[in-house]
Amino acid sequence: MKSDTLPGIVKADGEQPVFSVGERVAISVRFPVGHYRAPQYIRGKNGVIEAVMEPPAVNNEEEGFGRNAGRKRHYYRVAIPLSDLWPGYGGSVADGLRIEVYENWLERI
Amino acid sequence: MTPSEAFVKRLPNDIGGLSADRIDRADHELQPWEKRCHALADVLDFHKILNTEEKRRGVEALGTEIIGKLSYYERWVAAFANILFQKQVLTPEELASKMDEVSARFKRESEL
Amino acid sequence: MHSHDHTPINVPDVEPGYYEIMETAMRELLAEKGLIQPAEIRRQIEVLDSRTPQLGAKVVARAWVDPDFRARLLANGRSACEELGITFYDDTQLIVLENTRDIHNLIVCTLCSCYPRPVLGLPPDWYKQKPYRARAVREPRNVLAEFGTVIPEDVEIRVSDSTAMVRYLVLPQRPNGTDTWSEEELALLVTRDAMIGVATIEAQERKVQ
Repeated sequence: MKSDTLPGIVKADGEQPVFSVGERVAISVRFPVGHYRAPQYIRGKNGVIEAVMEPPAVNNEEEGFGRNAGRKRHYYRVAIPLSDLWPGYGGSVADGLRIEVYENWLERI
Repeated sequence: MTPSEAFVKRLPNDIGGLSADRIDRADHELQPWEKRCHALADVLDFHKILNTEEKRRGVEALGTEIIGKLSYYERWVAAFANILFQKQVLTPEELASKMDEVSARFKRESEL
Repeated sequence: MHSHDHTPINVPDVEPGYYEIMETAMRELLAEKGLIQPAEIRRQIEVLDSRTPQLGAKVVARAWVDPDFRARLLANGRSACEELGITFYDDTQLIVLENTRDIHNLIVCTLCSCYPRPVLGLPPDWYKQKPYRARAVREPRNVLAEFGTVIPEDVEIRVSDSTAMVRYLVLPQRPNGTDTWSEEELALLVTRDAMIGVATIEAQERKVQ
């Protein structure tokens, strides 16, 4: 924790990341119609937050329909072992995926 | 999942992990119109007339068959047309008229 | 010939196809409506032409010779590139992924063709096509083998799939045998494929001074 953070500051909606580095998360399972940016191969999988992307941004799934502004949330770089993604994965057990996922696709586990 | 559900639930571009062929490393030099098309996409995004994510969605919305049959930049320009009509920036009639005019002009210039 | 804004940007020398006609018509209509200027298109073409893998190679070579730059590059790829004048004309961020003895990085965009264009230029066709996009996240070692790159089993492979605002650039390992090389000479070794992560850079034989 930063010791020089000034007290009494209220953050705007979306400024505070919901998840932190090192947290275990699950990728949600849902099936949006029309446009999405969370690929199917990660849905329902568990991962670890490797980084919080700053600054918060507009949901790109909504941007795809012309929303150029609005409520901002964070993207997170999530690490998922390839052997968790693919049954019978033939490479090293250490091999992994890194992928940016928007906050509304992540759940605490 | 029924076949008809599957088509809507999985976008045509959502192919991570699907089986696929060997990689063909052949590359091609962009044709001038393709480069102009890329520049047009960038300029439209700068102006937020058509942002990059809208372009992606527009290409997806062309559907699997068209995506499979059109080249990369052909998909872009077809998607742009749809999106610009939807946003009422252009009308189908004015684009079609202009295309006729451009086509005729190209023909004349090639005869010079 | 027409004057100023109506000067055609293109006079095709091969039979223009349907899509070229569409692109031209669309661009001219948008310009007539004042929504874009032809000069903006011309300018953006120049911007795109100026971005090639040689820029990325210079970034890599600088990182190899300058540890402070390397640290800044790994902390914030975009701002380090901007130090060298490589402007980012869009809202993307850049994360530079460092290859080490233990970790080999590979970049892909499974959903489309996201690529670090401001610093590498436009991506090759194979990067945008199904085989690479489908298989890089599923069987990266086999994909690398198709490029002639074999990563030992005890080296971890990290595949980064861009889906949003971040773009990636691989910082390859500096090859052995280059201790005395200048930054310019080093930059000549760095290939686009090494910065995507499908290739590594071979050790160099000692040069005769």
